[in-house]
Amino acid sequence: MTPVRREKAERLADEELMPWIAKKDPEAFEVFYDRHGGAGYSLAYRILGDRTAAEDCIQEAFISIWRSGARFDPTRGSVRSWTLSIVRNRAIDALRSKAGKAPKLTFDDEAILEARPAAEHTEAEVLAAETADEVRGALSHLPADQSRVIQLAYFGGFSQSEIAGMLDLPLGTVKGRMRLGLEKVRGELAEGMA
Amino acid sequence: MNANEHDPRLEEAAAFALGALDADRVDDFRQHLEGCERCQAELRWLEPAVRALPEAVEQQAPPHELKTRLMEEVRADVAADRERSPSRKGFREWLGGLNFAGLTWKPLAGIAAVVLIVAAGVGYLVGNGGGSNVHTTEVQQKNGIVAKVVNENGKGELRLTGVEQPAKGKVLEAWVERGESVEPVKATFTPDEEGNASTQIEDLEGVDAVLVTEEPAGGTKMPTTEPFVNVPLEGS
Repeated sequence: MTPVRREKAERLADEELMPWIAKKDPEAFEVFYDRHGGAGYSLAYRILGDRTAAEDCIQEAFISIWRSGARFDPTRGSVRSWTLSIVRNRAIDALRSKAGKAPKLTFDDEAILEARPAAEHTEAEVLAAETADEVRGALSHLPADQSRVIQLAYFGGFSQSEIAGMLDLPLGTVKGRMRLGLEKVRGELAEGMA
Repeated sequence: MNANEHDPRLEEAAAFALGALDADRVDDFRQHLEGCERCQAELRWLEPAVRALPEAVEQQAPPHELKTRLMEEVRADVAADRERSPSRKGFREWLGGLNFAGLTWKPLAGIAAVVLIVAAGVGYLVGNGGGSNVHTTEVQQKNGIVAKVVNENGKGELRLTGVEQPAKGKVLEAWVERGESVEPVKATFTPDEEGNASTQIEDLEGVDAVLVTEEPAGGTKMPTTEPFVNVPLEGS
Protein backbone atom coordinates (compact mmCIF):
# COMPACT_ATOMS: atom_id res chain seq x y z
CA MET A 1 0.00 0.00 0.00
CA THR A 2 1.70 3.23 -1.07
CA PRO A 3 1.31 6.09 1.39
CA VAL A 4 -1.85 8.11 1.02
CA ARG A 5 -1.35 11.77 0.21
CA ARG A 6 -2.67 14.25 2.71
CA GLU A 7 -5.08 15.77 0.17
CA LYS A 8 -6.53 12.37 -0.57
CA ALA A 9 -6.68 11.37 3.08
CA GLU A 10 -8.68 14.49 3.84
CA ARG A 11 -11.31 13.44 1.33
CA LEU A 12 -11.75 9.98 2.85
CA ALA A 13 -14.56 9.19 5.26
CA ASP A 14 -13.49 8.07 8.72
CA GLU A 15 -14.25 4.45 7.96
CA GLU A 16 -12.10 4.64 4.81
CA LEU A 17 -9.21 6.16 6.74
CA MET A 18 -8.96 3.32 9.22
CA PRO A 19 -7.42 0.72 6.86
CA TRP A 20 -4.70 3.25 6.01
CA ILE A 21 -4.00 3.79 9.69
CA ALA A 22 -3.93 0.03 10.19
CA LYS A 23 -1.20 0.00 7.52
CA LYS A 24 0.72 2.57 9.57
CA ASP A 25 0.19 5.51 7.26
CA PRO A 26 1.13 8.70 9.15
CA GLU A 27 -0.73 11.04 6.78
CA ALA A 28 -3.97 9.14 7.36
CA PHE A 29 -3.34 9.17 11.09
CA GLU A 30 -2.72 12.91 11.08
CA VAL A 31 -6.05 13.50 9.34
CA PHE A 32 -7.71 11.18 11.86
CA TYR A 33 -6.19 13.21 14.72
CA ASP A 34 -7.21 16.50 13.12
CA ARG A 35 -10.80 15.28 12.99
CA HIS A 36 -11.13 13.78 16.45
CA GLY A 37 -8.23 15.05 18.54
CA GLY A 38 -10.13 18.15 19.60
CA ALA A 39 -13.21 16.25 20.73
CA GLY A 40 -11.01 13.70 22.49
CA TYR A 41 -9.01 16.39 24.25
CA SER A 42 -12.19 18.18 25.31
CA LEU A 43 -13.59 14.96 26.75
CA ALA A 44 -10.33 14.13 28.54
CA TYR A 45 -10.17 17.64 29.97
CA ARG A 46 -13.78 17.43 31.11
CA ILE A 47 -13.05 14.19 32.94
CA LEU A 48 -9.60 15.00 34.30
CA GLY A 49 -9.97 18.74 34.86
CA ASP A 50 -6.31 19.32 34.10
CA ARG A 51 -4.68 20.24 30.80
CA THR A 52 -1.44 18.33 31.30
CA ALA A 53 -3.31 15.20 32.33
CA ALA A 54 -5.65 15.61 29.35
CA GLU A 55 -2.66 15.90 27.00
CA ASP A 56 -1.09 12.76 28.46
CA CYS A 57 -4.39 10.93 28.11
CA ILE A 58 -4.77 11.92 24.44
CA GLN A 59 -1.17 11.04 23.64
CA GLU A 60 -1.64 7.57 25.18
CA ALA A 61 -5.06 6.98 23.65
CA PHE A 62 -4.12 8.01 20.11
CA ILE A 63 -0.79 6.17 20.21
CA SER A 64 -2.64 3.05 21.37
CA ILE A 65 -4.96 3.41 18.35
CA TRP A 66 -1.96 3.88 16.07
CA ARG A 67 0.04 0.97 17.49
CA SER A 68 -2.87 -1.42 17.77
CA GLY A 69 -3.44 -1.09 14.05
CA ALA A 70 -6.71 0.73 14.60
CA ARG A 71 -8.81 -2.29 15.52
CA PHE A 72 -12.04 -0.60 14.62
CA ASP A 73 -15.21 -2.61 14.15
CA PRO A 74 -17.68 -0.67 11.96
CA THR A 75 -20.59 -2.80 13.18
CA ARG A 76 -20.22 -1.32 16.66
CA GLY A 77 -20.68 2.35 15.90
CA SER A 78 -18.86 5.23 14.28
CA VAL A 79 -15.12 5.87 14.30
CA ARG A 80 -15.73 8.96 16.37
CA SER A 81 -17.71 7.24 19.12
CA TRP A 82 -15.18 4.38 19.15
CA THR A 83 -12.34 6.88 19.52
CA LEU A 84 -14.10 8.84 22.24
CA SER A 85 -14.86 5.66 24.16
CA ILE A 86 -11.14 4.82 24.12
CA VAL A 87 -10.33 8.32 25.35
CA ARG A 88 -12.98 8.10 28.05
CA ASN A 89 -11.69 4.74 29.30
CA ARG A 90 -8.12 6.08 29.45
CA ALA A 91 -9.24 9.22 31.25
CA ILE A 92 -11.30 7.30 33.80
CA ASP A 93 -8.35 4.95 34.39
CA ALA A 94 -6.10 7.95 34.95
CA LEU A 95 -8.65 9.42 37.32
CA ARG A 96 -8.85 6.23 39.33
CA SER A 97 -5.09 5.87 39.45
CA LYS A 98 -4.88 9.18 41.28
CA ALA A 99 -5.41 7.56 44.65
CA GLY A 100 -7.34 9.70 47.02
CA LYS A 101 -7.93 12.48 44.57
CA ALA A 102 -11.56 13.07 43.75
CA PRO A 103 -12.30 14.12 40.19
CA LYS A 104 -13.21 17.67 39.48
CA LEU A 105 -16.94 17.73 39.03
CA THR A 106 -18.95 20.65 37.87
CA PHE A 107 -22.65 20.77 38.35
CA ASP A 108 -23.16 23.94 36.38
CA ASP A 109 -24.82 22.42 33.35
CA GLU A 110 -24.67 25.61 31.35
CA ALA A 111 -20.92 25.88 31.81
CA ILE A 112 -20.38 22.22 31.04
CA LEU A 113 -22.49 22.20 27.95
CA GLU A 114 -21.58 25.51 26.41
CA ALA A 115 -21.00 25.12 22.70
CA ARG A 116 -17.81 25.96 20.91
CA PRO A 117 -18.29 28.56 18.21
CA ALA A 118 -17.24 26.67 15.12
CA ALA A 119 -15.52 28.67 12.43
CA GLU A 120 -14.96 25.81 10.08
CA HIS A 121 -16.41 22.34 10.05
CA THR A 122 -15.73 19.17 8.19
CA GLU A 123 -18.78 17.11 7.39
CA ALA A 124 -18.06 14.91 10.39
CA GLU A 125 -17.78 17.97 12.61
CA VAL A 126 -21.06 19.34 11.32
CA LEU A 127 -22.78 16.07 12.16
CA ALA A 128 -21.05 15.98 15.53
CA ALA A 129 -22.10 19.56 16.17
CA GLU A 130 -25.71 18.72 15.38
CA THR A 131 -25.56 15.77 17.74
CA ALA A 132 -23.90 17.93 20.35
CA ASP A 133 -26.68 20.50 20.11
CA GLU A 134 -29.28 17.80 20.52
CA VAL A 135 -27.53 16.22 23.49
CA ARG A 136 -26.99 19.57 25.15
CA GLY A 137 -30.63 20.34 24.62
CA ALA A 138 -31.70 16.99 25.98
CA LEU A 139 -29.45 17.26 29.06
CA SER A 140 -30.54 20.82 29.74
CA HIS A 141 -34.16 19.66 29.84
CA LEU A 142 -33.42 17.01 32.45
CA PRO A 143 -34.18 17.64 36.10
CA ALA A 144 -30.88 18.53 37.80
CA ASP A 145 -30.90 15.42 39.98
CA GLN A 146 -31.15 13.14 36.93
CA SER A 147 -28.51 15.08 35.00
CA ARG A 148 -26.19 14.91 38.00
CA VAL A 149 -26.20 11.13 38.35
CA ILE A 150 -25.63 10.69 34.62
CA GLN A 151 -22.69 13.08 34.64
CA LEU A 152 -21.18 11.49 37.75
CA ALA A 153 -21.45 8.11 36.07
CA TYR A 154 -20.19 9.04 32.63
CA PHE A 155 -17.69 11.84 33.29
CA GLY A 156 -16.73 10.84 36.82
CA GLY A 157 -16.54 7.10 36.28
CA PHE A 158 -18.49 6.42 39.46
CA SER A 159 -20.66 3.36 40.03
CA GLN A 160 -24.23 3.60 41.23
CA SER A 161 -23.25 2.69 44.78
CA GLU A 162 -20.48 5.28 44.82
CA ILE A 163 -22.88 7.94 43.56
CA ALA A 164 -25.44 6.97 46.18
CA GLY A 165 -22.75 7.36 48.85
CA MET A 166 -21.52 10.69 47.49
CA LEU A 167 -24.98 12.20 47.24
CA ASP A 168 -26.26 10.50 50.38
CA LEU A 169 -29.16 8.95 48.53
CA PRO A 170 -30.68 5.46 48.63
CA LEU A 171 -29.20 3.23 45.92
CA GLY A 172 -32.66 2.67 44.46
CA THR A 173 -33.12 6.42 43.99
CA VAL A 174 -29.86 6.68 42.06
CA LYS A 175 -30.82 3.71 39.88
CA GLY A 176 -34.20 5.23 39.10
CA ARG A 177 -32.82 8.68 38.31
CA MET A 178 -30.12 7.23 36.09
CA ARG A 179 -32.58 5.23 34.04
CA LEU A 180 -35.17 7.98 33.81
CA GLY A 181 -32.58 10.55 32.80
CA LEU A 182 -30.96 8.40 30.17
CA GLU A 183 -34.35 7.40 28.75
CA LYS A 184 -35.28 11.07 28.42
CA VAL A 185 -32.04 11.95 26.66
CA ARG A 186 -32.57 9.03 24.30
CA GLY A 187 -36.15 10.06 23.68
CA GLU A 188 -35.17 13.60 22.79
CA LEU A 189 -32.45 12.39 20.45
CA ALA A 190 -35.00 10.15 18.74
CA GLU A 191 -37.36 13.10 18.33
CA GLY A 192 -34.50 15.16 16.87
CA MET A 193 -33.78 12.47 14.32
CA ALA A 194 -37.46 12.00 13.39
CA MET B 1 -41.03 -12.21 34.73
CA ASN B 2 -43.72 -9.53 34.51
CA ALA B 3 -43.08 -5.90 33.59
CA ASN B 4 -42.79 -4.63 37.17
CA GLU B 5 -40.45 -7.43 38.18
CA HIS B 6 -38.34 -6.57 35.18
CA ASP B 7 -37.90 -2.89 36.04
CA PRO B 8 -34.80 -3.47 38.21
CA ARG B 9 -33.17 -5.17 35.25
CA LEU B 10 -33.93 -2.21 33.03
CA GLU B 11 -32.41 0.08 35.65
CA GLU B 12 -29.35 -2.12 35.53
CA ALA B 13 -29.32 -1.86 31.75
CA ALA B 14 -29.10 1.94 32.00
CA ALA B 15 -26.28 1.72 34.52
CA PHE B 16 -24.54 -0.92 32.41
CA ALA B 17 -24.77 1.32 29.34
CA LEU B 18 -23.16 4.17 31.30
CA GLY B 19 -20.48 1.88 32.72
CA ALA B 20 -21.85 2.58 36.19
CA LEU B 21 -23.21 -0.81 37.18
CA ASP B 22 -21.58 -1.95 40.42
CA ALA B 23 -18.78 -4.43 39.73
CA ASP B 24 -20.44 -7.19 41.72
CA ARG B 25 -23.57 -6.92 39.53
CA VAL B 26 -21.89 -6.91 36.12
CA ASP B 27 -21.44 -10.68 35.66
CA ASP B 28 -24.98 -11.40 36.79
CA PHE B 29 -26.39 -8.79 34.43
CA ARG B 30 -24.33 -10.11 31.52
CA GLN B 31 -25.70 -13.60 32.11
CA HIS B 32 -29.22 -12.24 32.24
CA LEU B 33 -28.61 -10.21 29.10
CA GLU B 34 -27.73 -13.29 27.07
CA GLY B 35 -31.25 -14.64 27.39
CA CYS B 36 -33.28 -11.44 27.67
CA GLU B 37 -34.39 -9.84 24.43
CA ARG B 38 -36.05 -6.99 26.29
CA CYS B 39 -32.81 -5.93 28.00
CA GLN B 40 -30.90 -6.39 24.75
CA ALA B 41 -33.38 -4.10 23.03
CA GLU B 42 -33.15 -1.61 25.90
CA LEU B 43 -29.35 -1.50 25.58
CA ARG B 44 -29.57 -1.02 21.82
CA TRP B 45 -32.04 1.80 22.40
CA LEU B 46 -29.92 3.56 25.05
CA GLU B 47 -26.57 3.16 23.31
CA PRO B 48 -26.86 6.22 21.02
CA ALA B 49 -27.61 8.42 24.01
CA VAL B 50 -24.47 7.23 25.81
CA ARG B 51 -22.37 7.57 22.66
CA ALA B 52 -23.59 11.13 22.23
CA LEU B 53 -22.70 12.29 25.76
CA PRO B 54 -19.06 13.18 25.02
CA GLU B 55 -20.20 15.46 22.20
CA ALA B 56 -21.95 17.66 24.75
CA VAL B 57 -18.86 18.80 26.64
CA GLU B 58 -17.44 22.27 26.24
CA GLN B 59 -14.91 22.14 23.43
CA GLN B 60 -11.29 22.91 24.26
CA ALA B 61 -8.60 23.51 21.67
CA PRO B 62 -5.75 21.06 22.21
CA PRO B 63 -2.30 22.67 22.21
CA HIS B 64 -0.49 22.41 18.90
CA GLU B 65 2.49 20.88 20.68
CA LEU B 66 0.34 17.88 21.52
CA LYS B 67 -0.12 17.09 17.84
CA THR B 68 3.57 17.69 17.19
CA ARG B 69 4.59 15.27 19.95
CA LEU B 70 2.07 12.71 18.79
CA MET B 71 3.18 12.88 15.16
CA GLU B 72 6.84 12.70 16.17
CA GLU B 73 6.12 9.47 18.00
CA VAL B 74 4.15 8.17 15.03
CA ARG B 75 6.94 9.01 12.59
CA ALA B 76 9.55 7.53 14.91
CA ASP B 77 7.51 4.32 14.86
CA VAL B 78 7.45 4.36 11.07
CA ALA B 79 11.21 4.93 10.94
CA ALA B 80 11.81 2.12 13.43
CA ASP B 81 9.59 -0.22 11.41
CA ARG B 82 11.55 0.65 8.31
CA GLU B 83 14.84 -0.09 10.05
CA ARG B 84 13.53 -3.47 11.18
CA SER B 85 12.60 -4.31 7.61
CA PRO B 86 15.63 -5.88 5.88
CA SER B 87 14.22 -5.20 2.44
CA ARG B 88 14.40 -1.44 2.88
CA LYS B 89 17.61 0.45 3.29
CA GLY B 90 17.90 4.07 4.39
CA PHE B 91 19.35 6.53 1.92
CA ARG B 92 22.30 7.44 4.08
CA GLU B 93 22.96 3.82 4.98
CA TRP B 94 23.11 3.21 1.26
CA LEU B 95 25.22 6.28 0.68
CA GLY B 96 27.50 5.34 3.56
CA GLY B 97 28.46 2.19 1.72
CA LEU B 98 29.62 4.16 -1.30
CA ASN B 99 33.00 5.70 -1.84
CA PHE B 100 33.20 8.63 -4.21
CA ALA B 101 36.81 9.09 -5.35
CA GLY B 102 38.06 7.96 -1.98
CA LEU B 103 35.71 10.21 0.01
CA THR B 104 33.52 8.66 2.71
CA TRP B 105 30.01 9.82 3.62
CA LYS B 106 31.18 12.20 6.38
CA PRO B 107 33.22 14.62 4.27
CA LEU B 108 30.60 14.38 1.55
CA ALA B 109 28.00 15.54 4.01
CA GLY B 110 30.17 18.47 4.97
CA ILE B 111 30.67 19.51 1.36
CA ALA B 112 26.96 19.18 0.66
CA ALA B 113 26.11 21.30 3.66
CA VAL B 114 28.48 24.06 2.62
CA VAL B 115 26.85 24.12 -0.80
CA LEU B 116 23.42 24.23 0.79
CA ILE B 117 24.25 27.05 3.15
CA VAL B 118 25.46 29.14 0.23
CA ALA B 119 22.35 28.27 -1.74
CA ALA B 120 20.02 28.98 1.12
CA GLY B 121 20.18 32.73 0.72
CA VAL B 122 18.91 32.53 -2.82
CA GLY B 123 15.27 32.76 -3.70
CA TYR B 124 13.52 32.71 -0.37
CA LEU B 125 10.15 34.30 -0.19
CA VAL B 126 8.31 35.85 2.65
CA GLY B 127 4.55 35.50 2.81
CA ASN B 128 2.17 37.26 5.10
CA GLY B 129 -0.76 35.35 6.55
CA GLY B 130 -3.54 37.59 5.35
CA GLY B 131 -3.65 40.24 8.04
CA SER B 132 -2.90 37.94 10.97
CA ASN B 133 0.56 38.06 12.48
CA VAL B 134 1.83 35.10 10.50
CA HIS B 135 4.97 35.17 8.37
CA THR B 136 6.24 32.33 6.28
CA THR B 137 9.81 32.01 5.08
CA GLU B 138 10.40 29.32 2.52
CA VAL B 139 13.81 28.30 1.27
CA GLN B 140 14.53 25.84 -1.49
CA GLN B 141 17.67 23.94 -0.45
CA LYS B 142 20.00 22.77 -3.16
CA ASN B 143 19.52 19.09 -2.35
CA GLY B 144 15.81 19.31 -3.10
CA ILE B 145 14.61 19.87 0.45
CA VAL B 146 12.09 22.65 0.81
CA ALA B 147 12.27 24.24 4.24
CA LYS B 148 9.51 26.47 5.50
CA VAL B 149 9.44 28.41 8.76
CA VAL B 150 6.02 29.66 9.82
CA ASN B 151 6.25 32.41 12.39
CA GLU B 152 3.01 33.07 14.23
CA ASN B 153 3.30 35.72 16.90
CA GLY B 154 6.87 34.72 17.72
CA LYS B 155 6.14 31.01 17.88
CA GLY B 156 7.16 28.95 14.94
CA GLU B 157 7.00 25.73 13.08
CA LEU B 158 9.66 24.33 10.79
CA ARG B 159 8.30 22.20 7.96
CA LEU B 160 10.51 20.22 5.65
CA THR B 161 9.65 18.30 2.52
CA GLY B 162 11.88 16.04 0.48
CA VAL B 163 13.92 14.85 3.47
CA GLU B 164 15.64 11.50 3.37
CA GLN B 165 15.42 9.24 6.42
CA PRO B 166 18.22 9.82 8.93
CA ALA B 167 20.73 7.05 9.43
CA LYS B 168 20.03 4.28 11.92
CA GLY B 169 20.05 5.60 15.46
CA LYS B 170 19.97 9.18 14.24
CA VAL B 171 17.28 11.83 14.32
CA LEU B 172 16.87 15.33 13.00
CA GLU B 173 17.51 18.20 15.36
CA ALA B 174 16.67 21.81 14.68
CA TRP B 175 18.61 24.77 15.98
CA VAL B 176 17.99 28.47 16.25
CA GLU B 177 20.87 30.81 15.57
CA ARG B 178 20.97 34.16 17.35
CA GLY B 179 24.13 36.10 16.57
CA GLU B 180 27.00 33.88 17.65
CA SER B 181 24.92 31.49 19.73
CA VAL B 182 23.16 28.34 18.58
CA GLU B 183 20.49 26.69 20.73
CA PRO B 184 18.63 23.42 20.15
CA VAL B 185 14.90 23.33 19.57
CA LYS B 186 13.35 21.25 22.36
CA ALA B 187 12.26 18.11 20.51
CA THR B 188 14.06 16.01 17.92
CA PHE B 189 12.08 14.80 14.94
CA THR B 190 12.09 12.39 12.02
CA PRO B 191 10.59 12.53 8.54
CA ASP B 192 7.65 10.40 7.49
CA GLU B 193 7.67 7.96 4.59
CA GLU B 194 7.06 10.74 2.11
CA GLY B 195 9.94 12.80 3.40
CA ASN B 196 7.84 15.33 5.30
CA ALA B 197 8.96 16.46 8.73
CA SER B 198 8.05 19.22 11.12
CA THR B 199 8.94 20.51 14.53
CA GLN B 200 7.84 23.34 16.76
CA ILE B 201 10.03 26.32 17.64
CA GLU B 202 8.97 27.84 20.93
CA ASP B 203 10.56 31.25 20.43
CA LEU B 204 11.61 32.84 17.16
CA GLU B 205 12.30 36.22 18.71
CA GLY B 206 15.67 37.51 17.48
CA VAL B 207 16.44 34.37 15.51
CA ASP B 208 18.75 34.91 12.54
CA ALA B 209 18.44 31.43 11.08
CA VAL B 210 16.91 28.02 11.68
CA LEU B 211 19.24 25.10 11.03
CA VAL B 212 18.82 21.35 10.94
CA THR B 213 21.43 18.70 11.57
CA GLU B 214 21.43 14.97 11.91
CA GLU B 215 22.21 13.90 15.47
CA PRO B 216 22.22 10.78 17.63
CA ALA B 217 18.78 9.70 18.93
CA GLY B 218 17.85 11.85 21.89
CA GLY B 219 19.55 14.89 20.44
CA THR B 220 22.60 16.84 21.53
CA LYS B 221 23.27 20.17 23.19
CA MET B 222 25.46 21.41 20.35
CA PRO B 223 25.46 20.40 16.67
CA THR B 224 27.86 17.58 15.92
CA THR B 225 27.38 17.65 12.15
CA GLU B 226 27.13 20.35 9.53
CA PRO B 227 23.61 21.71 9.00
CA PHE B 228 21.94 20.36 5.89
CA VAL B 229 19.09 22.85 6.14
CA ASN B 230 19.56 26.56 6.69
CA VAL B 231 16.66 29.00 6.71
CA PRO B 232 17.77 32.60 7.18
CA LEU B 233 15.10 34.75 8.79
CA GLU B 234 14.66 38.47 8.45
CA GLY B 235 13.28 40.70 11.18
CA SER B 236 12.40 37.98 13.72
